[in-house]
Amino acid sequence: MVLTVNRLGKSFKNKRIIHNISFEVKKGEIMAILGPNGAGKSTTIRNIMGIMLPDEGTITFHQSEQIPRNKIGYLPEERGLYKNVKVMDVLLYLADLKDYPLKKAKERARMYLKKFGLEGKEYAKIEELSKGMSQKVQFIASILHEPELLILDEPFSGLDPVSQELFKEEIRLLAGNGTAILLSSHQMNIVEEMCDRLFMIHRGQKVIYGSLDEVKTKYANFKCVIRGKNDFHQLEQISGVQRVEQKEDVSTLYLEKDINPAIWLKNLPDHLAIQELTIDRISLHEIFIDIATDKNLLQKAGEKDA
Amino acid sequence: MRKTIKVAKWEIKRNLKNKSFVISLFITPILFLIFFLLGNFSGNSEVAPKMTKVKVFVNDQLNAFPALEEAVNAYNLPFELVKTGMTEDKAAEQLKNSRNTAFLLLNEKTLTTGSVPVYTTKEISPSFSTQLQLLQEPLKVMQMKHLGLSPQQLAAISKGIVFKQTAIDKPSETGSDEGETHSLKRMIPAGFAGIIFLSIVFTGMMIFQSASQEKKDKIAEIILSSITPRDLMQGKIIGYFILGMIQVAIFLVLMIPTVLWKIDFPIFHYLLVPELILFICLALLGYLLFAAIFVGVGATMTDISNAGNFQGFVIMLPFLSFIFIGPVSSDPSGTWAQIGSYLPFTSPAVLIMRLAILDEWPWIEIIISLAILIISVFIFMRLAGKIFKVGILLYGKNATPKEILKWMRQ
Repeated sequence: MVLTVNRLGKSFKNKRIIHNISFEVKKGEIMAILGPNGAGKSTTIRNIMGIMLPDEGTITFHQSEQIPRNKIGYLPEERGLYKNVKVMDVLLYLADLKDYPLKKAKERARMYLKKFGLEGKEYAKIEELSKGMSQKVQFIASILHEPELLILDEPFSGLDPVSQELFKEEIRLLAGNGTAILLSSHQMNIVEEMCDRLFMIHRGQKVIYGSLDEVKTKYANFKCVIRGKNDFHQLEQISGVQRVEQKEDVSTLYLEKDINPAIWLKNLPDHLAIQELTIDRISLHEIFIDIATDKNLLQKAGEKDA
Repeated sequence: MRKTIKVAKWEIKRNLKNKSFVISLFITPILFLIFFLLGNFSGNSEVAPKMTKVKVFVNDQLNAFPALEEAVNAYNLPFELVKTGMTEDKAAEQLKNSRNTAFLLLNEKTLTTGSVPVYTTKEISPSFSTQLQLLQEPLKVMQMKHLGLSPQQLAAISKGIVFKQTAIDKPSETGSDEGETHSLKRMIPAGFAGIIFLSIVFTGMMIFQSASQEKKDKIAEIILSSITPRDLMQGKIIGYFILGMIQVAIFLVLMIPTVLWKIDFPIFHYLLVPELILFICLALLGYLLFAAIFVGVGATMTDISNAGNFQGFVIMLPFLSFIFIGPVSSDPSGTWAQIGSYLPFTSPAVLIMRLAILDEWPWIEIIISLAILIISVFIFMRLAGKIFKVGILLYGKNATPKEILKWMRQ
């Protein structure tokens, strides 16, 4: 266990930003922290980094409340670099602030610059780089000092697909080498693709916490979409239906957990008007949207399962 | 503290690698020198640019000429003494058509009234009248002789009365000051402190730039993930202080040889006096006060071009001192001077000015205003720390005075 966050809470004035947040990040895993804008992701991260002080709860690093900041790499969501300074100078300065030996930092900086296709840009000024290049330099700065814990707040925002792949690959490689990674993002496809575990936060509170597989089996029930004129209440009467959403002719039936789709389909009432019918699992993306738009689908699902 | 020094080093290195900063390091003293030299040249005669000796015609009816010549040589005055038999009217005629020339009339009347009529051309070296005072001595001796005093009496009187002041903590530098050297003794260290103060305040304004730039470039959060806001703020203050001292050093390296060449008095002799310590203390306290203000305000805004009235006003605070230049120099003990000494924003500059002019230092006022200044520095540093901590992370907008007030209360 590299990082343990326990019952973290933070308020500004009378407004509670985050409340009762608890999770862990283990060595060598990629842990995702998800949530809509303003959910409290960045606040949680800023509390971990000691940029803000929490009002409640504890944060421990290897069971110690002393957070050794030089062992953590951090890429904030709002980020930038000094404009009129050379790439190498910035990298070495940031490594020096982490107390990382200069010579090693230089070697690693060269290695990473080469890896990210920035060879020969060591002595270019930041302002001469494109946005993507400067993002890469920021990423290098966050991993240059071989952190044990790497915190990435929206690392993929503003990257083209090629660079995204590069970042993904490097993040996986770092995790493979034992770095604990805490990653915040709202690009669900990437999260589904990469992370081992996830923590979903909404309005400053925990909504989902668990491994990707757990979350999928637990929350990703089947849903059936029917196009055709049907009575709302009749649809609700169908067995195995948890909740119905209707928009003109399109009705979405959220099914209970452990439903066997084949049997359920066979038992549909004969008088149902069906122009089109699809049945599939709820995706992480939908879970996210549901939470963000307060449809409470998950709360219901969660309550029943709990 | 270790991290503070890292930040300070970085700020120094970053600026010294910046071409426009390096150029500005030299431009300021060079501009200063150009104005200094221009003023000097236009004040002097263009006829004899090498060594602007003043031609002094002496109508000597007292036979004082040898004594005067002796004095000129002894003090190394830039005078060329010429004996003449011209009358006042004739001399006036002659002076009309010449430059950098003077006429002295020494006669019996001189000895009885004690005043020497001096006629000069319209253009004359500005230091002429002060230099002329050094010729008092031989004339005084003649006057005494004329009154029929014995050689012993003569010796006693011509020595005059001197207060021999001896500072206890340091080997004395004797107090054989005349009025003129006395004021030089004050003016030079004050001027030096003024240069330090100005350089540091101007470089200090770069703190403001640096803090707001860090906010604009959004690097603050990355930096603050490694160090505390306190380290960052202190590092900036120390870093820019050293940059300011580099500016002072360059200033002096360029300035001193020029001054030594243009004006010949022993600067170092007057510069390295105990008073300098007080002057430098004032300059440093002034720097710390403004550095705190600048770093705090800098953290509240991303862009100077859309600064609100509040921030604009705060940035102008150091220039408040300029308002006091007029009133203080005309009356260094007056009400304005006192107000200026008690306002922390103006007291460093106003006190330096006053102490340079005043012969007797108002110690009580000095102590009170030093106390006010030290307390203000302390308070402003704390407030700046609070503002900096929140402000530097508030990206993308300038803080309103209301918000700033809220942060201060926290």
